[in-house]
Amino acid sequence: MNRHTVVFEPSGKKGDVQEGATLLEAAHELGDDIESVCGGKGVCGKCSVKIDEGLLASHGIEWSGQVLSPPADEEAELLSRRGLSSEYRLACQARVLGDVAVFVPEASRRSRQLIRKSTIERTIPVRPAIRKYYLELSPPTLSDVTADYERLITELRRSSGLEEVIIDYAVLKDLSHILRSADWKVTLTVWKGREIVRVEPGYVDGSYGLAVDIGTTTVAGYLCDLQTGEVLATDGMLNPQMAYGEDVISRISHTMKEPDGLAGLNRAIVDGIGELVVSITGQLDLTPGDISEMTVVGNTAMHHIFLNLDPVCLAKSPFAPTVSGSLDVKARELGLTLEQSTNVHVLPVEAGFVGADNVGVLIAEEPYNQEEMVLIIDIGTNGELVMGSRDRLLCASCATGPAFEGATIEFGMRAAPGAIERVRIDRESLEVQFKVIGSDEWNTVSSSVKAKGICGSGVIEAVAEMVKAGIIEKGGRFSRKLASSRLITAEDGPAFIIAWANETALGQDITVSIEDVRAVQLAKGAMYAGARILMDRLGITGLDKIILAGAFGSYVSKEHALAIGLFPQCAPEKVYSVGNAAGEGARLALVSVDKRREAEQIARKVEYVELTVEPRFHEYFIEALSFPVPSVLSKP
Amino acid sequence: MSKLADALANLDEDEVRRLVREKIDAGVDPMAIVVECRKGMDIVGERYKSKDYFLSELIISGEMFKEAMAVVEPMLKAGMQSEPISKMVLATAKGDIHNIGKDIVGTLLTAAGFEVHDLGIDVAPGIIVEKLVETGAPILGMSGLLTPSFESMKETVEAVEAAGLRGRVKVIVGGGIVTERVGKYVGADAFTNDASEGVDICRRFAKEAK
Repeated sequence: MNRHTVVFEPSGKKGDVQEGATLLEAAHELGDDIESVCGGKGVCGKCSVKIDEGLLASHGIEWSGQVLSPPADEEAELLSRRGLSSEYRLACQARVLGDVAVFVPEASRRSRQLIRKSTIERTIPVRPAIRKYYLELSPPTLSDVTADYERLITELRRSSGLEEVIIDYAVLKDLSHILRSADWKVTLTVWKGREIVRVEPGYVDGSYGLAVDIGTTTVAGYLCDLQTGEVLATDGMLNPQMAYGEDVISRISHTMKEPDGLAGLNRAIVDGIGELVVSITGQLDLTPGDISEMTVVGNTAMHHIFLNLDPVCLAKSPFAPTVSGSLDVKARELGLTLEQSTNVHVLPVEAGFVGADNVGVLIAEEPYNQEEMVLIIDIGTNGELVMGSRDRLLCASCATGPAFEGATIEFGMRAAPGAIERVRIDRESLEVQFKVIGSDEWNTVSSSVKAKGICGSGVIEAVAEMVKAGIIEKGGRFSRKLASSRLITAEDGPAFIIAWANETALGQDITVSIEDVRAVQLAKGAMYAGARILMDRLGITGLDKIILAGAFGSYVSKEHALAIGLFPQCAPEKVYSVGNAAGEGARLALVSVDKRREAEQIARKVEYVELTVEPRFHEYFIEALSFPVPSVLSKP
Repeated sequence: MSKLADALANLDEDEVRRLVREKIDAGVDPMAIVVECRKGMDIVGERYKSKDYFLSELIISGEMFKEAMAVVEPMLKAGMQSEPISKMVLATAKGDIHNIGKDIVGTLLTAAGFEVHDLGIDVAPGIIVEKLVETGAPILGMSGLLTPSFESMKETVEAVEAAGLRGRVKVIVGGGIVTERVGKYVGADAFTNDASEGVDICRRFAKEAK
């Protein structure tokens, strides 16, 4: 029988195949990687490829007219339904009749890349734990009485080479019914190539997953296409546990004090995620049942409570968590309103106070793959620090308190419309300009801007500007030398008016009080001292790069943060804000099993440093309480 | 106000050193120097209470006080050794490892004339009881920043009770998030989240014990 040359682009794979072989078979034979969900039945359309005469010429081969079998009506119809021109063919249907060149578009490649642009650009292969397989089974007859499940896995093994596949019990219970009602044509959802977690009638297109970042204050969800790795929809909500306390410690206290405290908190977050699932799938006209897998990150307390594990151990020295490795748990065991057999992958934690959210940050930013000495700061209610490079990585947690989130600040509020986020103070007149979230104009330009409070980044700017203007002295006390109607003495001590009552929606002046300044001092002192301890441990005196993760990091002005000494000195252009890196890490783990492995490895490799017992922490902390930070780096 | 007390209160390190030296050279009674330094520390405490000073000022002044005492104390004649106001035992409760607040209070108490037996962090009830017995101290101060430490404080108070010491030992608890409710819960006689106020309370306890 004749053989013909087939060329695949852009891979450049080329070789001779038997006449009559399909392009899909040719691709497998020549080592090109074309996607196929239906296993070559011409149903899924994933293997669409473009036939290109021009390409052939560049390989020095002549085009000879009829090089492929003509498309059947079903194929032509499927291609036109997918909006593809007549240049396209289904690789599984087109048979080779002559020398041919084929272009495999990105969407039809099995191994896809996700290009990430953060502080460095890199590509990540899309390799989700979930894959779908479309199977057409021959129905049993009196002469072939093989059982349904065995029939299913035999066909799965034959068509996809998957060996040793088991089936979730809940799926098994519905199997015989689904197979018969679907005329033995079904789509399987297989987890990690080893467990059937769903069987759906007919051919089902699309595969979706949800990445969730459970923050102490907010919960963020990312609905992803598991075939492309793309984020299709995002959604966020306040953590419903807020009703039980604003910070981690008060939540843990709740579980200690109340008889069903843990159950209540667990219920709150599980129900909350249930709502999130409904709203985020609703954005795309999907249903919660369309979620094939979920990944979760969160600090250790959120992690434990979500898993219904007692978090009390986290708040008591020596702070050992219940489990630190990653977990795969079925949705039904967690009480989540997903398909009950859906896998929920929970990322590993590093230590008692450094959780899966930090692991998410690590796999998103990959400091362990960099030459540069990096400090990553994830600022929330707790400040998490990671420092190091390719050779060694340290992590630590410092109790910054909620000052950076605007809590514990007298007029503090979350970063929401109406919150003052930018502040400028004239050094001569001590007059103030501010901007609120939701308005592009300074208050001095538009008088319609009404402030409701100050968010964390606004507090940092206000304090930094007050220091620059001499309103606050080095040690944090208010100057007695300056005179301004904005400098007042309130009941709890001195305060500075940022917004006059008529510039606010509150009907009263918005001030930064001495107490607020103290809260900022404590928070930044802890953060800075933590960074210093890690530098000592690594034996370094400077940093090449600082990465700010978390919402606060996105809003804060680097110059003001450096001015108050929130972190060690570093060239401002080498300070980056990367937004919710923890959530990004959850998404990467969702679309890449390699990233999960990486997470597991790095969580074990990163060395945890307990700051409070470090002999010099105390000293650095006290030193770092002052404004601006003394230039400790220049000391011998 | 004396110049020395003033210099200490204003954290003028060089001036404090110079004045202490000058007074010693002029043959001033060393005990009088101690008294003046204590006055300076009292002023620091007042300023802290009025929010003028913060933790760093407390610590810096504490260091200056310690330095002055190191010079003056050897000169106090035997018998003139300043009698401590009272002995007291200080510790961060079991399960907690935060020491900054405790250390600040310890320094202020020392400056105020207390003989402070600081047991450190993460201290089990048994060790605290042992120290109370050994020293005969009539005051116990416990510190904690984490909520679960309240449970340990409670256990410690119970252990003090079980050892039959509760009658002669006053208990004060402190920490950033300690409230009146916490104080009651653990069975303490007093609570505070203000180092300077803590010193005042201990002074009152010391007086009552006499």
